[in-house]
Amino acid sequence: MEHTSLLERVLRGIALTLVVVFFMFPIVWIFMMSFQTNEMILRIPPQLVFEPTLANYTALITGKLQTAAGTLDIAFMRNLWNSIFLSVTSVAVALLLGVPAAYAFARHKFRGSEDIAFTLLSFRFAPALLVLLPLTLYFQKLGLANTYFGLIWVYQLICLPLILWIVRGYFEDIPADIEYAYRIAGHSWFATFRKIALPLAGPGIAAAGLLAFIFAWNNFVFALVLASADKQPVTVGALAFITSSGIQYGQISAAIVLSITPTLALALYAQRYLVEGLSLGAVKG
Amino acid sequence: MHRAKPSGFRISKRVLPYLLSLPALLVCIGILIPFLTSVVYSFQRYRLSQPWARQFNWGDNYISFFTDPKFWNTLEISLLYAGITVGLELLLGLGIAMLLQKRSSLNNFISIMLLMPLMTAPALAALMWKLMTNPGFGVLSYLASLIGLQDFRWASSPSTALLTVVLVDIWVYTPFIMILLLAGLRSLPTQPFEAAALDGVPRSFVFFRITLPMLTPYILTATLFRLLDSIQQFDIIYAMTQGGPGDTLTVFQVEAYLNFFQSTNVGRSAALMIILWAITYFLSNIFIKNWLRLRERARGQA
Amino acid sequence: MHEKEKDLLDAFLRGQVDRRGLIKGLGAMGLAASTAGVLLNLGQTRALAADFDWQAHKGKTIKLLLNKHPYADAMIADLDNFKQLTGMNVTYDVFPEDVYFDKVTAALSASSPEYDAFMTGAYMTWTYGPAGWITDLNEWIKDPAKTNPKYAWDDFLPGVRNSCAWNGKPGGALGSEDAKQWCIPWGFEQNNITYNKAMFDKAGVKLPGNMDELVAAAAKLTKDVGGGVYGIGVRGSRSWATIHPGFLSAYANFDQKDLNVSADGKLSAAMATAESKAFHKQWVQMIQESGPKDWSTYTWYQVGTDLGAGASAMIFDADILGYFMNGGSNKMAGQLAFSAFKANPAAKAPTPNIWIWSLSMSNFSKDKDATWYFMQWASGLDHCLFGATKMDFVNPVRQAVWKDEMFREKLNKSYPGYVDMFDASAPGASIKFTAQPLFFDLTTEWAATLQKMVAKEVPVDEGLDKLAESINGQLKEAGLG
Repeated sequence: MEHTSLLERVLRGIALTLVVVFFMFPIVWIFMMSFQTNEMILRIPPQLVFEPTLANYTALITGKLQTAAGTLDIAFMRNLWNSIFLSVTSVAVALLLGVPAAYAFARHKFRGSEDIAFTLLSFRFAPALLVLLPLTLYFQKLGLANTYFGLIWVYQLICLPLILWIVRGYFEDIPADIEYAYRIAGHSWFATFRKIALPLAGPGIAAAGLLAFIFAWNNFVFALVLASADKQPVTVGALAFITSSGIQYGQISAAIVLSITPTLALALYAQRYLVEGLSLGAVKG
Repeated sequence: MHRAKPSGFRISKRVLPYLLSLPALLVCIGILIPFLTSVVYSFQRYRLSQPWARQFNWGDNYISFFTDPKFWNTLEISLLYAGITVGLELLLGLGIAMLLQKRSSLNNFISIMLLMPLMTAPALAALMWKLMTNPGFGVLSYLASLIGLQDFRWASSPSTALLTVVLVDIWVYTPFIMILLLAGLRSLPTQPFEAAALDGVPRSFVFFRITLPMLTPYILTATLFRLLDSIQQFDIIYAMTQGGPGDTLTVFQVEAYLNFFQSTNVGRSAALMIILWAITYFLSNIFIKNWLRLRERARGQA
Repeated sequence: MHEKEKDLLDAFLRGQVDRRGLIKGLGAMGLAASTAGVLLNLGQTRALAADFDWQAHKGKTIKLLLNKHPYADAMIADLDNFKQLTGMNVTYDVFPEDVYFDKVTAALSASSPEYDAFMTGAYMTWTYGPAGWITDLNEWIKDPAKTNPKYAWDDFLPGVRNSCAWNGKPGGALGSEDAKQWCIPWGFEQNNITYNKAMFDKAGVKLPGNMDELVAAAAKLTKDVGGGVYGIGVRGSRSWATIHPGFLSAYANFDQKDLNVSADGKLSAAMATAESKAFHKQWVQMIQESGPKDWSTYTWYQVGTDLGAGASAMIFDADILGYFMNGGSNKMAGQLAFSAFKANPAAKAPTPNIWIWSLSMSNFSKDKDATWYFMQWASGLDHCLFGATKMDFVNPVRQAVWKDEMFREKLNKSYPGYVDMFDASAPGASIKFTAQPLFFDLTTEWAATLQKMVAKEVPVDEGLDKLAESINGQLKEAGLG
């Protein structure tokens, strides 16, 4: 694969450019809109040149929105914090529960293992509406309504199956021989899991964790139905700029940019695990 | 592996896997109770706005679907939507993953950047697409008019509405497949490829006979999750068209949502959801079976 | 508060100084208008306290569920007055409009005692009332021990007040003798015409006086204004919200109805008449010729945005949508004008269908008496005056506010034609739908049918026949037909 022809390289370059343009254009456009007032955004035809303003960000970060009618409070930063807290905690819990389970399914064929694994997966596709409304009733009886604890529990529906099934695949790809050799050398089961299996499945765990984080981050139905305004995530918060006196596109764009930033930072940090990885292939051979 | 003789490790081999997997199961099992409650609802004539008429009608909600053309439309559209989006996203995701396969900092950077659409909440992404496709203010409509598509109506015309929401779905979710397949591609063993290169085997042969089979478990996982989400698509479709124009895009979740939150027809809504659940159950079962078989085969070869 | 200000306030309360004089006087003392408004209300608050025990629920806390809306903003701005008047505490959850009613349904269907009162639309109470989620407020309104003597329930516009009252029987007339008051109207919207004066002048178009003229005017505007501007903005998404504004207002003006109610209370579809078909044809033609290109995705927001940004020449929608677009940072702010619209040449007056933002009391509230204290204050004259003159609490439902000179002057100054429009159409303004539990099913299907007609997937006559047939089927199935 080293000796690729010039033509192929050019074609690859063109293809990649097209891909980047398609996926990045709306993002760039949103980024640009976040520095414009609504009036600038709503021009016919749309224009590239504009006078940038930081007003949208100022309004979001200070929590004060200046309107014709006066100053309004917006809780965007609180929403952002809620999103961070809910997503981080949910993914952490899901990793704690999911990775050992994934290891068990990958390494040990035990009675009912496939059934349990499938049941866990099936939680993922129980339509949220189906579960949520009766759940509201039960949560109220259990005192879990409007608590972070209850929300994090429900968020496991999003995170746990994803982590479980993706990580399981990675564990299964690790040749059993390596672990076996380590065990023979007199190490305990737990040491083998921690020193051999976990690092080898690192890229998979990072990928699954990041994806689970993104899905948790983007969810808003759970919090909307189960919690009050002070526990709403950023997705609900951004909808507050769709008001009866108009859609504040500039502020929504700024809200999108601000809400992507933490996830993007996480992804960039996890990058070395994600795509650099360690080449399992070398060991597998 | 698990049949190996224990060496100084005292938790029973038989108990260990249960110990590892049960916490996860227990956390999720609580969700089963509300699920069962919904099953009960689906067998009732149950409108929140007519509490006096609430009673068990057993299968009536389901039976009425058979003669309801709207239901068949919903079924058809949901499957069509899922089929098109997952198919296209898989092809595109695989293609992009192969473009980025080589480890270089540029490729790594691009792969992370491409995740940004996925990080945008679908409901907000759809709102932005709606603005960008607006005939007056929309940059995409403007660009379309520059290349001669003067009157392209995007989500508002029955003939292009499906295309438009599929486009947004592809934009949001292709990165999901891309990143999973990229991770898969990069973890493939290198020897078979080196050997094939040495032997001068044609590239297409390498792709279809070596890359694809080895990647299949990853493809199946990615497809499975994408399919489960796609057949339950709500955010994008509702935000872009609310199921219209006409009944063009009344997929399961949109119908069930309208039935529940607007008409408060809990019985019908629950029955729709149960059918959706049954379809996803069936589909995922097929996937898992194949996944396991492939895994077994792969292990047999190793 | 300083002595001088107090004196001025007391003078006002004694009737020596009028409202405007008071505000001017306070302004001269260096107080901003809105602060002066709050102070003024404080003054009146003290007057209110004289003949009613506002402190009866001192120390209690109630919680509200609010939609992110200018009405809620106005209430929150004035809330300290209520706290001071009653010694009660009020907390609130504000949710975005996009998801607001989902939150309400979720909270109420779970019998959540979290919220004591909440904002709602009158249509929604047709579900909430029979479901047992909200309380009939007559018990409080009519009890002099619980309602302050200055509340003046009769001051509410009768059409609006009655539209919030329903006996719960499918097809039962709104505001009938046995009706239950499911909610208190707060602010409401009439559907009339808001237009861009400069564009009308440019195209040489006069204000349309009936449906034929409206269709012709919209077509001429589309042709002659230029710059891609289209003639008329109306909603078109697959939702009940497409039916209730301009469309139903004009439809009702031709004496057409959504449903027939027979003598024995059975319901049947009423939209397959010859008059209805003729009207539908005109409406569909108007959208095809001069509506927004992507009409079928148009909701409140797009209709308003286009008008505000100068992409459309007029809208036939809520008057307050035009009101909002004439202010703020909109490109067309200050350039819009208002006019009542009478679709039927034979009709005597406009008959706008209305949307009413109202306050309902949750049946799961733990202290309904205390909650009513808040509700009567929030719908009382003082708060309405404050909201209407200082904030965007428009349109107020109290006639006394419409008689207030300051309010009329504020509107006349920046919203040309608004007051006249209101005076012309308010007497005929009420909900034109038949109250019944399938409201959302039927209107959603109606909207979907309109979309098919506009897309030329089905001819108007055939589409309406099919719609009527389908609606009759659903009514029968639900035991109503």
